[in-house]
Amino acid sequence: MNPTFIDTEKFRAQMEELRRNGMDFLRDIIGMDWGEEGLGAIYTLENSSTHETCEVAVRCTSRETPTIASVYDLWSVAEFYEREVYDFFGIKFVNHPDMRRLFLRNDWVGYPLRKDYDESEAINPIRMENEIPEDVQRDYEIAEDAERELYVKQTNKIFGDQYIINIGPQHPATHGVLRFRLALDGEEIRKIDVHCGYIHRGIEKMSEKMTYPQILAFTDRLDYLSAHQNRHALCMCIEKAMGIEPTGRVQYIRTIMDELQRIDSHLLFLSCAAMDLGAITTFIYGFRDREKVLDIFEEVTGGRLIQNYNVIGGVQADITPDFARKVKEFCNYQKRKIEEYNNVFTYNTITRKRMIGVGVLSREDAISYGCTGGSGRASGWACDVRKRHPYALYDKVDFKEIIYNNGDCYDRFLVRIDEILQSIHIIEQLIDNIPEGDYKVKTKPIIRIPEGRYSAAVEGSRGEFGVFIESRGDKSPYRLKFRPMGLPLVAAMHKILKGAKIADLIAIGATLDYVIPDIDR
Amino acid sequence: MEQKFTYIGKIADTIKSLATGLSVTMREFFTPKVTEQYPENRKTLKISDRHRAMLYMPLDEEGNNRCIACGLCQSNCPNGTITIKTKTVVDEETGKSKKVLEEYIYDLGSCMYCQLCVNVCPKDAIAFNNSFENAVFDRNKLIIKLNK
Amino acid sequence: MLDFGTITTATDQYLHSVMPTQAALLLECILVALCAVLAYVMLAIVMIFMERKVCAAFQCRLGPMRVGVWGLLQVFADVFKMLIKEIISIDRSDKLLYNLAPYLVVMSSVLTFSCLPFAQGFQVLDFNIGVFFIMAASSFGVLGILLAGWSSNNKYSMIGAVRSGAQMISYELSIGLCILVIVVLSGTMQISELVEAQRDGWFIFKGHIPAFTAFIIYLIAGNAETNRAPFDLPEAESELTAGFHTEYSGMHFGFFYVAEFMNLFIVAGIASTLFLGGWAPLHIAGFGAFNAIMDYIPGSVWFLGKTFFVIWLLMWVRWTFPRMRIDQVVSLEWKYLLPIGLVNLLIMTICVVCGWTF
Repeated sequence: MNPTFIDTEKFRAQMEELRRNGMDFLRDIIGMDWGEEGLGAIYTLENSSTHETCEVAVRCTSRETPTIASVYDLWSVAEFYEREVYDFFGIKFVNHPDMRRLFLRNDWVGYPLRKDYDESEAINPIRMENEIPEDVQRDYEIAEDAERELYVKQTNKIFGDQYIINIGPQHPATHGVLRFRLALDGEEIRKIDVHCGYIHRGIEKMSEKMTYPQILAFTDRLDYLSAHQNRHALCMCIEKAMGIEPTGRVQYIRTIMDELQRIDSHLLFLSCAAMDLGAITTFIYGFRDREKVLDIFEEVTGGRLIQNYNVIGGVQADITPDFARKVKEFCNYQKRKIEEYNNVFTYNTITRKRMIGVGVLSREDAISYGCTGGSGRASGWACDVRKRHPYALYDKVDFKEIIYNNGDCYDRFLVRIDEILQSIHIIEQLIDNIPEGDYKVKTKPIIRIPEGRYSAAVEGSRGEFGVFIESRGDKSPYRLKFRPMGLPLVAAMHKILKGAKIADLIAIGATLDYVIPDIDR
Repeated sequence: MEQKFTYIGKIADTIKSLATGLSVTMREFFTPKVTEQYPENRKTLKISDRHRAMLYMPLDEEGNNRCIACGLCQSNCPNGTITIKTKTVVDEETGKSKKVLEEYIYDLGSCMYCQLCVNVCPKDAIAFNNSFENAVFDRNKLIIKLNK
Repeated sequence: MLDFGTITTATDQYLHSVMPTQAALLLECILVALCAVLAYVMLAIVMIFMERKVCAAFQCRLGPMRVGVWGLLQVFADVFKMLIKEIISIDRSDKLLYNLAPYLVVMSSVLTFSCLPFAQGFQVLDFNIGVFFIMAASSFGVLGILLAGWSSNNKYSMIGAVRSGAQMISYELSIGLCILVIVVLSGTMQISELVEAQRDGWFIFKGHIPAFTAFIIYLIAGNAETNRAPFDLPEAESELTAGFHTEYSGMHFGFFYVAEFMNLFIVAGIASTLFLGGWAPLHIAGFGAFNAIMDYIPGSVWFLGKTFFVIWLLMWVRWTFPRMRIDQVVSLEWKYLLPIGLVNLLIMTICVVCGWTF
């Protein structure tokens, strides 16, 4: 698993080679600060047909002007990932068309995830004045002469004198504090500029000072609608690193809870999508039924949204005696209710007119942008981690990976509806067969992970959620990275939005189903 | 002629799908409502026993707690929610000095309910209860002394 | 059946006998205006309450339950809240037009409201081109909305206003065509006569297929005129936050709110007047006893009953369907409703000419 470092000079050629060899899915770019050894990044790649993975680590020699060649033209999602790395590590990606900060304010001083970053408040006080948005994209290039100096090749203005309108950060349809700046021509959208970071909490930075059990509490607060899966991923990663094998009972409970969480998330998705399209009644129906999942969560985990259930080596508490009965009751109830949503919303002419053919994301783009989850599967990309790299009990249960081919809003919507039914199907296979056993493996009081790099991935409610840990054998990780599910979706926004209207933006945003705390972390 | 048919067919399909939707809402119009009328339903409201609303110290009949002031909860808390003040008392029988709990301060306002303190406590001296009605007008009221 | 006209005529004669003509007219104007505005506000309050409860019932909820028994006082509390709220003035807005716009909207809807026949003779405005007046008065409400959107110096408002303009001007055509169908059928434009003609059978029965088609088209177009779902895109809250009235607060917002509800009442009122016989009771030819019993129910009950039934229908539609997109709204009108409406008018004319009506 430990990749060798590649020189920055050879990096670009190597990446082109990998891309040619079918490594078409860029999972993540993990910015790294190896201290004395320099700054760099780890690229995790995957072949979308053979599911073969590889890691490429690149290290810059200079800490003052670190540069890496951009790969945004090979994998479109790199455009945003590289901006994130630039934002936190100050690594400039040469030839990247838009080297702006992604999450932090333009006037932020320093690069916070560097190990030598000065946290003092004198440098970055809490600024009370408005942030002036940067309207200029910078494109860096390295001079070909002997000096090899980095210079700004060209600057592009994002917007000319177009009619610009803000959707967000406080807007009813952005599902949180995401901000789009749109250039409009009448009702039609000409250009979009995404501003993230309004609720960036620096969880990855905080994690570097926390112990592993403490970090667990953060995962619930990333994508709060896949709280359980996120925590599952981190627990799995730590367990893998420490060589702990959770009992069969734990695997059953975790799988069932993962699927319940997926139902919860998809119910919220379909309710909110309906509300964004103006069908408020469907929204209430969805929430009425979601409440039943939350009641089950509350009964078992003590939390409705922030469940705090998985712990390293097991789960927080054993399931309650009538858990199985309640879950079965819910499954039967929910199957009937899906029909109701379909009748009142999905099959409605207005819904179909609003969604069919709107916001098409092709399969190639979905892979290139790394749009995993339901959005990717609606475009025909079989990207379900449960099938690709099975974990927990997913290789033992029978379920279908839902795939649609049009990649429009309607398919994205139908994928989720069908996935609710598949989740119910999975739960029904497991719920009666939960084996006896301990619900938690005893672990040492202080958890240390042996030196090395570890990663794990689960299928979150809206895509592949990955955890990457580089450990130096301490109580806390040297570097911890969560692969966001939403960032690729937002990165693909401008591609999907070609020729769309304002109302389509809302439909597209609703069906892409991003959750902002997961984008911002 | 064919064009004409699709025009009318489209209208018919539209009307059919709209009518299906209307029939669903009409059915819901007459089904029992699901609104929970909190706070009127306080008496019948069932909050899960595992719900984490607030940290408390289970006391025995004489009002003693089981805390040994080891400080594990304080050091495990990610937010610095718990502050333990200790004093040293000399045991009268053995003559040894011993650290005992003086004040157990819990800041409800910064607690994120991660349950690490409860998990780590060797004596089960603290636990979460489900008294969730904790709204106050002053943040200082959220700083609670747990031991008596 | 009680003719309200006798009371008004008596009052008029009495006033004329005790004071000069000018003064009597002035007093009458003030009295009538007061009554109209009071009825307007009271009905708006009833409608807001109804909307909340009906919407809640469709959504498996209970709706307001706290203020008063069954939340009966909720709307009064809301009105009070709105009254004590500050009316914010917007930076760099066109002050005059910005403040004028809500009044224009309310004025248009009060004018239309005063044409509704609540019972026999119980009507403020009644003259030979009543239907024509209703259409004229109701269509300048869009002016207020356009001005509100334009003058608030807000891009959401602007888009909302432009959408509203496109939508209202389009759907006015369909409304006109549907009303024309009834005018063709009855041969009059005076509202009192229109209702009078329906005493022996409502137009929706008399005019059978074309009248029924016109009724449906009228409801769709009327729904669009009042900016209600699925045509609520001028104020699509998930797209434009609140559309043309984003920047309004306090009672200025209240005016838009009340006018929107009253426009719904007016649309329903006109529908019940033109198609369902207004205050005319349900008569079935040949059932003398039944008809006599129906006559005992006062006309205003008939009118309000029919109107609120139509309102309930529109609410049912509103709380079921998702919102349309602007191009779909416009194409629905120009590609479907308008051609169907025209053909429908033709059929009705043929029916009337050939005497195929009841």
